[in-house]
Amino acid sequence: MSDSFQNSVINTFPTIFEVVFKPIQKSYLKVILLNITFVFLLTLGLVFFLDSNELFEVSEFSFAIYIIITALFAVIFFLKIISFKTRKYIVREKDLSYKSGLLFKKLTTVPFNRIQHVEIDQGPFTRMFHLVSLSVFTAGDSSDDLKIRGLLKEEADQINDFISSQIDG
Amino acid sequence: MDNKELFHQFSRQSKKGILIIYLSALYKSLKVLWIFLFFFLQKFSKISDSQLGLIYLGIACLLLFLFFRSLLIFKNFQFKIEDQHFILQRGILKKTNTSIPFDRIQNIKFKQNIVQQLINVFEVNIETAGSSKAEISIKALSFSDANALKQSLSSNTSRTSDIENISKQKPLLKISLSQLIKVSLTENHLQSFLLLLAILIGVYQQITELFGGMGERELMDFYIEETSFSGTNILVIIGLLVLFLVISVISSMVRVYFRHFNLTVFIQHNALEIDQGLTTKSSVILKKEKVQHITISDNPIKKKLGISFITFKQAISGKTKKKQDKIIKIIGCKKEQVGAIKKLLFPNEAFENPLKKLSDHYYKKRLYMFAGTFFLVLNVLLYVRFELHPLFWLNALVLPLLIGWIHLKYQKQYYFCTKDIIVIGSGSIETHHTYLPFFKVQNIKLKQSIFQAKYKVIDLVFQTAAGKIRIPCLKEEDAYKIYNDTLFKVETSRQSWM
Repeated sequence: MSDSFQNSVINTFPTIFEVVFKPIQKSYLKVILLNITFVFLLTLGLVFFLDSNELFEVSEFSFAIYIIITALFAVIFFLKIISFKTRKYIVREKDLSYKSGLLFKKLTTVPFNRIQHVEIDQGPFTRMFHLVSLSVFTAGDSSDDLKIRGLLKEEADQINDFISSQIDG
Repeated sequence: MDNKELFHQFSRQSKKGILIIYLSALYKSLKVLWIFLFFFLQKFSKISDSQLGLIYLGIACLLLFLFFRSLLIFKNFQFKIEDQHFILQRGILKKTNTSIPFDRIQNIKFKQNIVQQLINVFEVNIETAGSSKAEISIKALSFSDANALKQSLSSNTSRTSDIENISKQKPLLKISLSQLIKVSLTENHLQSFLLLLAILIGVYQQITELFGGMGERELMDFYIEETSFSGTNILVIIGLLVLFLVISVISSMVRVYFRHFNLTVFIQHNALEIDQGLTTKSSVILKKEKVQHITISDNPIKKKLGISFITFKQAISGKTKKKQDKIIKIIGCKKEQVGAIKKLLFPNEAFENPLKKLSDHYYKKRLYMFAGTFFLVLNVLLYVRFELHPLFWLNALVLPLLIGWIHLKYQKQYYFCTKDIIVIGSGSIETHHTYLPFFKVQNIKLKQSIFQAKYKVIDLVFQTAAGKIRIPCLKEEDAYKIYNDTLFKVETSRQSWM
């Protein structure tokens, strides 16, 4: 492998694996937990509705089902909390990177000169904490490009402006 | 040259276009209404004369309406070339004005179905990377107009020299009938089987929808229940499978024969021209810089015969799924032709004696893990649902197949890099070699589960405008190197990548 890379100038190019990434806003954890709680309550309500109307004949197991659902959500809750610290991003001169995940680590980098447009959006829970998410889109079949959730509005605007200036420049 | 001037003013299609538009409108309405037609014919004797008169009147009105609509569509369909843009105006009530800059045109397709061949007009499709709805389709152009349009669109720099070249040039590839049959026999028959199945399911759904309200569903369900598994029926199933296999072989032969009949490929200095087709003749001009990546594939039989096929991937819009016939493929390439196409697309690359790197052993482990899970689920399901002993013999069939499949998949997964290109091999029964220039990458991803972290391996995913390409389970340090290297090459590249 080393042979085929001889010509590249890679030694002078800062590698992304030594860069210190920036964490996202801490208050975003609350948004995540609120979201999970919301879904949890919704599921519980649905199951309760199904159970009380006896749409499925599983009433003898209903207690076990509640336990399983609660346990599942508890595990997700816990995982989200401990993996929250892994959500980090970095803006470099020519690209934007985001990494996350504890059990399944993921790192994505999008070079600025391939970005088609940037979107900043805000959901109902994120609005309560004055946070936004920043999504970056590339051309073509870009089903999952990069999305950074849990940025301050000012941060996101700054990144957006920087990307715009880099694309045009 | 004076042909080219023609398009500086707004011009319409050839007058024969009215016929084409009318026929295609008829075809479309027939496709929607065939079920009513079916009923009409079935109950023909029961319909009274006055009702019959009304029905005929309705049909006549429909035909007339479609004719006037076609006329208006034709009248309002105008196009011209201005300032390196192709401009199209269309629409009867809602006027649409489309303008496409030349360098955004991905490819130009010429088509001639039977009717168009009979009245000697050409259909010209202009494709961009945008959604398929934005595509431009000119239904009928005379030969000289079509050619002039092709020339003004395809090569905007050295126009005249190119035209002469094409006519004099020897084709890179010309497939004879015997070769075509050879190719069609070695096609992926499983694929045509699935295609056939999809069509059958579609027809079945249409029929059940029809009978849905009539209480005949229960009858059908009852019939299906009656014929569930028993000793003799397994024989029937096997017989059916064999029948399906034969049908799918024939269908893939027919498909290849019709679509790729008389396949001829020309190389121009920065584009490929691919002509093929029996009933629908088509000709595509594929610009070199609009190709995102190519895949060279073969299967064991094709390999024996020394032929492979090349698939060209172009930028696609995220929301529309590409239709099967939109994928540009050259079948039946010999080694020299593959070499020539590689040389055209990647002129400065040397692919000899590559240092191929296989995926880590962990990849095999992961495949075994997935296969094992699948196997377990299958068996549990079989046990719980059927409790039938003959079905457990499936295990004896499935297990060696799975092991063989994993072995092949692991063996065929490799990659190597040259200066500007990464080559990735994959496949199980078929073998694919994908050639991806680094600068076409739009974003790059690393993925690692905790199990992979333990073995210090990682998945690498390249996202291009034409889709994802992944290398599973590389060694960490190799992946990091490629990651940094790709980013560097993308960020310093000044070439247009789309």
